[in-house]
Amino acid sequence: MAQKSFTRLFGSLLCLLLLAVAALPSIAQTGKPKRSDREKARLDAMIAQAKKEEEQFSKSGGKSDDAHHPNLKWAATFWRYRLKHPGTTATTVATTQTFTLLSRTNSFNEMQAKADTLKFDDPAWERVIHVLLFASMRAKEYSYFITKADALTQSAADPTTRARARFDIADAYWKQGNIAQARANFQTVIAQYPKTSYAEEAEGNVREIDFLNVGQLGPPFERTTINGDRLSLADFKGKVVVLKFWGTY
Amino acid sequence: MGEVPLLKDLYAQYKDRGVVVVGISLDETVKPLREMVESKGISWPQVWDEGQALATLFNVKGTPFYYLLDQEGKIAAKDIPFEKLRAAIDDLLKTRLKDQ
Repeated sequence: MAQKSFTRLFGSLLCLLLLAVAALPSIAQTGKPKRSDREKARLDAMIAQAKKEEEQFSKSGGKSDDAHHPNLKWAATFWRYRLKHPGTTATTVATTQTFTLLSRTNSFNEMQAKADTLKFDDPAWERVIHVLLFASMRAKEYSYFITKADALTQSAADPTTRARARFDIADAYWKQGNIAQARANFQTVIAQYPKTSYAEEAEGNVREIDFLNVGQLGPPFERTTINGDRLSLADFKGKVVVLKFWGTY
Repeated sequence: MGEVPLLKDLYAQYKDRGVVVVGISLDETVKPLREMVESKGISWPQVWDEGQALATLFNVKGTPFYYLLDQEGKIAAKDIPFEKLRAAIDDLLKTRLKDQ
């Protein structure tokens, strides 16, 4: 009898324990996204506020390299966030935001100093290197970007980051009018990172470099219009043609 | 899209002077294109670029994106902003007159 109730008690305790263990992962699962969602929402609110302040500042006549530009304060805020909350998705967002804001205030030296503190395995690099490219386009000074991106193609942990860095090097040469280097680097993206979106874009760019220059024949095509009429580019010989690529979205 | 009325003006002014406009839509489906062409009264030909094959062929990276081709079918301008389109067309028409 005693034995029986003990077994029963033990059995129900075991059941409870099993239930609790079974419930644990789901607690962990529901708990974790909530926290990262909260962080994402917090960052989104900060980004929106920073944007609002930037708009107000420029509307009231503020210049982008003004020492009191709100972007500088917000860049510092996002950087502090990065240092306080390492290793999350939100960290990457905050880091990218820091560089974007600094770029828009032409704070190139500070950008470079901060970029130099990022280790090559930092997941933020895939986006940060792109911001550095835009900054170098603004500054018309590409040497820092090329050196950094080149180091990333060697040392970044993540292949997507290496692909992005190589792609952006090609783009930087293209922007500077160095067609041969641009083409060679796009070819490297195609060869080294096949079947990625970067390779696909690089293929389009190589085709553009080869066949879509001013003075070259526009690629012939033939289609049916939405009214069912046949439309061929060849039929427009003797006319000026405007091709408008667009969408209703 | 916001420049549709401006492009309508341009088209009305140039369509009888040897200028063709072709709309190439990158929409996912043809329905919104048909609806907008109807509602805005767009009269130049429209091609629905299903699968974005033409966008790929012309390496279009975003919309709107304009190509201008001269009377021989050669590329005269690529990714030209709408505001510069009229002057570029005028240049091509003028060159043509001089040649004749």
